Amino acid sequence: MTQYSTAGTDVAVRAGARTRLDRARLFAWLQTIGIVILVAVILATPGFLAGPSILALLTTVSFIGCVAIGMTLITISGNIMSFALGATVGVTAMVFILAANWLGFGAGLLVGVIFGSLLTGLQGLLIGSVRANPIIISIAALALIYGVTQVFSEKGTIYADQGTVPALAKGKIAGVPIEFVVFLVSAVIAQFILSATRFGRNLFMVGSSFRAAEAVGVSTWRTITGAYLWAGFFTSLAGIMLAIRYDSANMDYGVAYDYDAIAAVLVGGTAIGGGSGSALRTFAGAMVIAAVQVMLLLKGLRQEWQYLAAGLIVLAVIVLQARGSGR
Amino acid sequence: MNTWRQLAGPHWRPFTVLAACILLLAALDAGQGAFLSAATAYSTLQIFATVSLVTLGLGLTMMIREFDLSVVGMYGMAGCIAVLTGTQHPWLGFFLALAIGLATGIAQGFIIVRLNLSSVGVTLGGLLVFVGIAFVLTESRSLPYDNLAVALLLNERFGGIFSIRSMVALVFFASAAMIFAWTRLGRDIIAIGSDRRAAMTTGVKVDALIIGIFAFSGLCAALSGVLLSYSLASASPAGLSDVIAPAAAGAILGGISLGGGTGRPLGIAAGALTLAVLRSGLNAVGAPPFVNDIAMGAVLLTVAVLDGPDLARRLIVARRLARRSPAA
Repeated sequence: MTQYSTAGTDVAVRAGARTRLDRARLFAWLQTIGIVILVAVILATPGFLAGPSILALLTTVSFIGCVAIGMTLITISGNIMSFALGATVGVTAMVFILAANWLGFGAGLLVGVIFGSLLTGLQGLLIGSVRANPIIISIAALALIYGVTQVFSEKGTIYADQGTVPALAKGKIAGVPIEFVVFLVSAVIAQFILSATRFGRNLFMVGSSFRAAEAVGVSTWRTITGAYLWAGFFTSLAGIMLAIRYDSANMDYGVAYDYDAIAAVLVGGTAIGGGSGSALRTFAGAMVIAAVQVMLLLKGLRQEWQYLAAGLIVLAVIVLQARGSGR
Repeated sequence: MNTWRQLAGPHWRPFTVLAACILLLAALDAGQGAFLSAATAYSTLQIFATVSLVTLGLGLTMMIREFDLSVVGMYGMAGCIAVLTGTQHPWLGFFLALAIGLATGIAQGFIIVRLNLSSVGVTLGGLLVFVGIAFVLTESRSLPYDNLAVALLLNERFGGIFSIRSMVALVFFASAAMIFAWTRLGRDIIAIGSDRRAAMTTGVKVDALIIGIFAFSGLCAALSGVLLSYSLASASPAGLSDVIAPAAAGAILGGISLGGGTGRPLGIAAGALTLAVLRSGLNAVGAPPFVNDIAMGAVLLTVAVLDGPDLARRLIVARRLARRSPAA
């Protein structure tokens, strides 16, 4: 525990505010310098700028990236994280394949997106309306999703019918994989929602102080439900893209995505306590983690070191962030 | 009447639920003897041994209004460490894994207390690091444990329903329950969970206790990870989400409220046992495996909603709306 200040005079309070500000600025500088050094090291790694490795990087980062964009909204809303987004990726992929086989590609897209949004939005409704514990709700949703999908899919993997998925959906736009374009556009849309709409403003308010937001008349349950709805929307994009890429769906698709996503969110500088953050920075966070992982691979380290590196980065960021905000 | 109310009250509820589950499964079994048998009791205790200690550690952190996510990672990593180092000398692997569990628990507790950080954030970092270490140590493979004598010994049935592995869990719980009931420690932990500042003012060593609980939680996770890996004769780095849901559900069934400040080790034991009985019992009467997942999810969801601090308020609003609508 830090010391509680007993007698706070005006001067002391102001001085405290200033040191806090300076610390925050110092932290921002440190972060920027760190990223610049990192980028320099990465670019200096031989083989990094070669075409194939870049393209592979851009595709793999997009799946986790879309989940991370969704997770950003949940984290900003003050509900830390969801453990059910990875399972949502898997189940959305399945629903998409089923709907696409039955109703066609376009309808499949629509059904998949709506399903993913509602599934996550429902959790948000429970969390927002009675302020149920978000961690426990998401763990419950995780168990329920896995349980219910086992009822419906005994074989495990379901495949798309021949010709259901148009070849166009697997292509590239101006040399860039379509997955990455979707990821980038998602980040921009999410950023727009956060910084240019009333809902975004309310979300930051609810995240930084639930009671204050309520006191000024923000409909807190609507805001939190909205955050989860959007989180489900972006997560369902990841599931659908995976299903399109592999022409099949499986509950293993999203395993451990929750952890990779929250890592990207935190590395991007969104505070774990809620109330601040940005989708574009999450985009940067996902790219930094992916770049570090590719660099480790190129330097000849085995793939396992990627996991460890991601873990250490997250731990460092969480500790540094606390110092930076002067808590 | 009064006894009924007491049985449904928070103190005895875990045991009431446990008894109800046993009765229900016995009724489902309908006298075929598949459920009420020594074999089912043995498998129940084996399942209990697998998750109950993680539940105890996690439950204690929830009791003080924290949440130790890293137990999941520690559970896997400890098994890998023990299997890698303990082929020749099982005790070496055992103690090494336990020491690492204890040390990392202390480290996390220290960071949480010193930097005044949220435990979810810090232990999330811990979780990712532990999982990473487990992957690096095992090179992403499932490791075989060649000392089969240890595996057989740990699972050997004695007394009809016990094994060494389940006895370890039971003894651990018994000692935790005794310490909790008969020393100051139990009261202090409850005090921290109900009102941390008030506890500090009355002279409870809050910081030391928080670090101690995270150390205990790390130790518990490491112990159950080692025992499981030894008895399965293998360890693998994956399996992230297999443990956290049963552990959290067990703690909640065991009478831990999400707001902190309630619960006791005996209740947690009853909660973990309830889940174990459900799993082995449903298995014995021939129910498909997903029933278990769905039951667990439903329990967690219900408790989370019932524990929601704003539930009463929403109900009042809903009732008022319901009353107004016929008039309108």
